[in-house]
Amino acid sequence: MTTAPQPPAAPRLVLGIDLGTTNSLAAVRAGKGARVLRDRDGEPLVPSVVCFHPDGRTIVGRDAKALRLDFPERTVFSIKRLIGRSAAEVQQEATRLPYRVVAADRGLPRVQIGDQQWTPEAISALILQQVKATAEQALGQPVREAVVTVPAWFDDAQRQATKDAAQLAGLECLRILNEPTAAALAYGIDGSKDGTALVYDLGGGTFDVSILRIDDGVFRVLSTAGDTHLGGDDFDELLGQRILAQLPPTSDPYVLQAVRAAAEGLKIRLSDADRAELELDLGDRGAVKLAVTRAEFEAAIAPLVQRTLDCVTRAVKDAGLQLHELDDVVLVGGSTRVPLVRARLQALTGKVPHTGVDPDLAVALGAAIQADVLAGNDRSLLLLDVIPLSLGLETLGGAVQKLILRNSTIPTSVTEEFSTGVDNQTAVDLTIYQGERELAQDCRLLGRFQLRGLPALPAGLPRIAVTFLVDADGVLRVTAREQRTGAQASIQIVPTFGLTRDEVRKMMLDSIEHAQHDYLAREAIDTRNKAEAMVRGTQKALQMAELPPDQTYAVQKATKALQKLLAANADAAALKAGCDELTKLTATIADDVISSAVTKALKADEIR
Amino acid sequence: MTHVPAPDPFTVFGVPRTLDLDARELERRYLRLSRECHPDHLRTQDANDCLAVLQRAAEVNDAWKTLRDPWTRAKALLEAESPGVLAANKKLDPAFLADALELAEEVAFVRPDHVGALRARLQQALDADFAALRADVGRADLPAAARRVHGAHYHKKALADLEHKA
Repeated sequence: MTTAPQPPAAPRLVLGIDLGTTNSLAAVRAGKGARVLRDRDGEPLVPSVVCFHPDGRTIVGRDAKALRLDFPERTVFSIKRLIGRSAAEVQQEATRLPYRVVAADRGLPRVQIGDQQWTPEAISALILQQVKATAEQALGQPVREAVVTVPAWFDDAQRQATKDAAQLAGLECLRILNEPTAAALAYGIDGSKDGTALVYDLGGGTFDVSILRIDDGVFRVLSTAGDTHLGGDDFDELLGQRILAQLPPTSDPYVLQAVRAAAEGLKIRLSDADRAELELDLGDRGAVKLAVTRAEFEAAIAPLVQRTLDCVTRAVKDAGLQLHELDDVVLVGGSTRVPLVRARLQALTGKVPHTGVDPDLAVALGAAIQADVLAGNDRSLLLLDVIPLSLGLETLGGAVQKLILRNSTIPTSVTEEFSTGVDNQTAVDLTIYQGERELAQDCRLLGRFQLRGLPALPAGLPRIAVTFLVDADGVLRVTAREQRTGAQASIQIVPTFGLTRDEVRKMMLDSIEHAQHDYLAREAIDTRNKAEAMVRGTQKALQMAELPPDQTYAVQKATKALQKLLAANADAAALKAGCDELTKLTATIADDVISSAVTKALKADEIR
Repeated sequence: MTHVPAPDPFTVFGVPRTLDLDARELERRYLRLSRECHPDHLRTQDANDCLAVLQRAAEVNDAWKTLRDPWTRAKALLEAESPGVLAANKKLDPAFLADALELAEEVAFVRPDHVGALRARLQQALDADFAALRADVGRADLPAAARRVHGAHYHKKALADLEHKA
């Protein structure tokens, strides 16, 4: 029996898909670069719009966009703003949309079309299916795997929902990739561009900025920042308000949609012209005649543009760099066509923004390159990304001890050892938070996890090593083990909560504004814990030490005084003074038991 | 909660346990190790290895974070050479402490036009700390080196506070 020589296996084909707020598209690796996949008319962009036609057809893309004025309440766009969020979180957003968004089971949002309800995942899946069909038609072969991009600041819930949408569309999602990172891949693909790049990605609905270091094919994200609720749609909204001001007050979806379209048209014309005019005739619903100068438009959007520049400054600082150390500035996203955006960014960085790659296509091209790496076809490139928000644990008194700092390269892990706070305690609760603030109440709860079955031992004796590992997808895995008995517990943090975009932004802003307040609150908690530990430790030591009566009395007196301060909820300064008093006293005592008990008490960092 | 030290980063990187490592060479090694063990390049492996693969990649990333900064590198070096030496040598020379506290006071009340000069002095103090640390390690006097690391912390803190104010 002979075996025929195997034909060389065709390289595995994995799509790179940019699932955008406004437009979506796919690309594949081609030679050293990548190419976008176009439909029969040569058009690569699939508008992220789905129209549920009254005749029963579901229409996706350009044809759906064309119908948005005919069936405004049946035409869904900007679904990316809803995916992975709760109905309560998107409530305000929904009032601006001509289609209806309702709250369904578990407080999740659904799009109401006639008597049918659609999840954001299902609508995203329809868009992905259209993108997939376009790609398969262009390639002449079926495709089953993809890398799908998301804004860098998408949280676990939003990433998971995007993955689910891909699965609904019949695609296995090999990786959720951050959009600015993808764009940087597209830009640096020829490998000759070693250096430090800033990627400024202003899309329809979100803003991301990432700083990358490129060394011989290794793309290292140094930092990332963003405003997850800021994009070109907000520019349109400001122009739309001017148009609406000339019409009688209305919530008519047809009018809202027509005004939205007109505002977008005005914005695009103002990118090239210094003045644009609008004549909008809505029949019996009213008419608008309006002229806007570029200066007026720029004055209106200037505060929004400034917010993006603040993010840029923070990202550069987080990367440990100065603005002048950036080698290149890369623009991504259609909204970077607005001249004011380019001018202000250039003024800030002193670099002419790089526009070599079409800002609408860069993300998909980069995703295709990473897709090829994951398919195992290319070992020359490697992407090292970071975790966008810090992860921490709640400690005594509601403070958050940060375990993994934002902008840590992933995978990353940290192991901490915990003990018990009371005798014979057999379970320890760990509560994990996400965010930059010092107190748990100001961060977002990610999940709880409990280590059970600890041996019944005096307080402080059990030793529980807990390992927190963030994988390459940015998902946290927690494992724990009691060192003496080997008892083990493990959980994966299930992303049921997910931060709202506003919360992320607010948390970041708050962490800057409230840094001082946070610090004081944190200090008060720490001081209190320290004082309590000192009282406990000293009392125990007094029983064991053999001191002359006068010294015993003095230590007892100082301990009692500290106890009184604790009982009276004294402020941090008073507690600190009490601790200092006790430390001073015990330091002069020659008995090691006392001084070491106090030092030990200060070190013991227990959790309940 | 007590931090459990990660695996000795010098071993993870396969470099000698020394204070002075060439920054460029270290970075090149990091990039090479990343290529070797990042899960993106090992996706075809058995799923059971997955956690081990992730752990190894995390070790490389975390070791890089430790080694690239001379002070965290120094701490790791001391812990690797003599576990517990940092915790056992926290008592600092009172004269040094007095100087450090004086610097902290200066930072707290610095006038805007004196920030530059103060920054230079703090940087100088840190450089002197590191030179002394190098000498301590050279003499294999690890307790002294540990105290030096703790002492430098005051200067680093003062410098950070100054940058925060500026």
